[in-house]
Amino acid sequence: MDILKVEKVSKTYGSGEAAVHALRNVSFTVPKGEFTVIVGESGSGKSTLLNIIGALDTPSAGRVYVDGKDIFKMKDQNRTVFRRRNIGFIFQSFNLIPELTVEQNMMFPVLLDHQKPDRRYLEELLGALHLTERRAHLPGQLSGGQQQRAAIGRALITRPALILADEPTGNLDSRNTNEVIALLKQASRKYEQTIVMITHSRSIAQTADRILQVSDGHLTDLGRCRE
Amino acid sequence: MKSYLSLIPISARMHRRQNRMTLSCIIFSVFLVTAIFTLADMGIRMERIRLLEKHEGLTMQDMAGTTMGQTLFPIAALLSVLILFAGVLMISGSINSNVAQRTRFFGMMRCIGMSKKQIILFVRLEALNWCRTAIPTGVVLGTAASWAACAGLRFLVREEFSQIPLFGVSPTGIASGSIMGVLTVLIAAGAPARRASRVSPVTAVSGNAYTSSPVHRAAGTRFLPIETSLGIHHAVSARKNLLLMTGSFALSIILFLSFSVLVDCVQYLMPQLSSTPDLHISADSGGNSVDGTLAENLRHIDGVGQVYGRRSAFGLPMRTAEDASVQSCDLISFDEYDLDCLAKDGLLKRGSKISKVYGDSGCVLAVLSEDSLLEPGDKIWIGEEELEIAGLLKYDLFSSDGSAGDTVTLIASGDTFTRLTGASGYSLLMVQLDRNAGDETVEKVRQAVPDQYAFHDDRGQSTAGTYTAFLFCVYGFLLIIALVAALNIINSISMSVSARAEQYSAMRAVGMDERQIAGMIAAEAFTYACSGYATGCAAGLLLHRSLYRILIETHFPQAAYAFPAASLLIILLFVAGSTAAAVYGPVKRVCQCSVITGTWGQ
Repeated sequence: MDILKVEKVSKTYGSGEAAVHALRNVSFTVPKGEFTVIVGESGSGKSTLLNIIGALDTPSAGRVYVDGKDIFKMKDQNRTVFRRRNIGFIFQSFNLIPELTVEQNMMFPVLLDHQKPDRRYLEELLGALHLTERRAHLPGQLSGGQQQRAAIGRALITRPALILADEPTGNLDSRNTNEVIALLKQASRKYEQTIVMITHSRSIAQTADRILQVSDGHLTDLGRCRE
Repeated sequence: MKSYLSLIPISARMHRRQNRMTLSCIIFSVFLVTAIFTLADMGIRMERIRLLEKHEGLTMQDMAGTTMGQTLFPIAALLSVLILFAGVLMISGSINSNVAQRTRFFGMMRCIGMSKKQIILFVRLEALNWCRTAIPTGVVLGTAASWAACAGLRFLVREEFSQIPLFGVSPTGIASGSIMGVLTVLIAAGAPARRASRVSPVTAVSGNAYTSSPVHRAAGTRFLPIETSLGIHHAVSARKNLLLMTGSFALSIILFLSFSVLVDCVQYLMPQLSSTPDLHISADSGGNSVDGTLAENLRHIDGVGQVYGRRSAFGLPMRTAEDASVQSCDLISFDEYDLDCLAKDGLLKRGSKISKVYGDSGCVLAVLSEDSLLEPGDKIWIGEEELEIAGLLKYDLFSSDGSAGDTVTLIASGDTFTRLTGASGYSLLMVQLDRNAGDETVEKVRQAVPDQYAFHDDRGQSTAGTYTAFLFCVYGFLLIIALVAALNIINSISMSVSARAEQYSAMRAVGMDERQIAGMIAAEAFTYACSGYATGCAAGLLLHRSLYRILIETHFPQAAYAFPAASLLIILLFVAGSTAAAVYGPVKRVCQCSVITGTWGQ
């Protein structure tokens, strides 16, 4: 079953002679549980693609289906709620809320939904991410790797259909990079999570299920690595 | 570009929208100072015209020696100092907000080689650059506002302001506004300029423009929705800002409550009764000897508004149901218009039923001393005539300090009075003129009054003009203080939101919707407002009570302290309104801003 379906998506900034075509007629699908990596040069359009998949930006043309739903047919408010429940984000600069503890940061999307967090699942995630001891710490009291693990926990807490990560290891040293990638892959397997990740690292890309390359707005499927 | 400073006008053009708040603050300060000094100047000119009519060859030096000359300019100077403080507070906050929004820009400037001194100079010159448009605008608006105020004083208040110049341009006002504008901006730009110079060049390359102080305590999220908890935490964690905002609101509330006592005090000193006459006619011989037909004749004169009279009988024997012994009372008659005015001016105590008094009735109003046991509904007897007390007056209109003596004073309608005493003539006939009536009307009235009666022109004794001018000043001053408080919270929220722009983007990316963003910003703003309101009301009410005791109760024994519920409600509405206004802009800005801005840390 395809959890993500991108259909003829184009994105153009500006108009006339000043028009910049960030994405041109991009189409692909991602099946449930796949760990997909997007690679490409700076300015190739990969972040634009991720923004559109995550409903943070709107395409100039084309459709995006997440879990079978056309996210750009939804009203803005509904799209926000859909994003909150179905798409998890992991940012390069972590973007944890400095005033909330690790535990509160992880629960944040659930609390936004005015729901009670599933305590057992939270404990499980804290354990899996090696953050049980650090649950009451503020982000400012954590290392970069620990902050990114908390961000992964926040992305996983709602059991989203899709997790999007833009250079999640960009601010980390090699030891933490390996740890974060291992955790992401582990989560992908354990919770059957679909992950789409941007990376510049060739070695990280090699460990993914599948590699997509964006170049001048065109997408090329480089195939499944482990097949 | 000739130098790096050429960037200032280019940057100003680029950031026109963001600079709007700072420009508004400068315009507001210049506007106020120009308006105040222009008004003071017009006041002096008015006094000069008035004095020139009396003494020819009067010079400005002579004018400086007049009471008005010695009073107006010092008041204007004092108000200007207050505006300078308020202006520095406002503009400083606004420039701070502006700097906070451009942290990365200053980091980049430092990165490419701008020294700290150059950054300070840059911010100061940038602020002065705003003066180029803000000062002329403020001066024009201030002059126009002073014209409007002069027109209001001349045509609405009239009285002693009927000679105030209408379209005067005051060099003093323009110079004061301009100088004060530049001075305020220079002082206000100091702290933000130093703050901008301290921005680390690293912010330009690290992408971490958010340089808030480290967080030591986590937000409590147990009892309130997450967005509300975060908003309150944002307000409470910035302790210095919380103190500033609480102080700003509290100061406005304390001043408002204190000034309301002052207004009450002036109302006691210069009671503005609806029945105050412009002219009055009394009998030279005393008694009720003014012929009733005179009232009819006067009513037919053009320009005469109301004619109403009073009759009086002193030392009448009176008995009460409780006390069979005879005591003395004074009886005064009020015509219908006079009775209407009693109700209109709110001079009756609660439970009074004035409608029973009109016409030939068995009911009267009473002015009683504090220790009297009589109440509305009680019966009294004047001779054999039984009367019911239909209501009580709050204080004695006929004594200088408002306190009722031992003698009971009763107020009856004209018909009741005539039935009780047999007297139909007036002891006092009062005339109110139409607003457009002049000396001609007064002369006609004077001619209509027979020689055996004394004619008095009371227009010169009217305190309405002074009273209105006093209210005008007090409320004008309060408006300044209130606007400063409102602008402070607007600035503060704007600054706080600017500083957390990236955090808000991240929150929106992980699913916070616009309503929740608005809720979070509103929670922060309302925390400031509630804290300010609570502190201001607590301190203000204590001061209000003390001032009432010192200024009013000790001098006017009849005054009864009332909890200022209406004032508190007005303050609450103002605080809520300004807080809502403070939330609106930043919420709109955050929601209009793309979610992807700053989210991915690129």
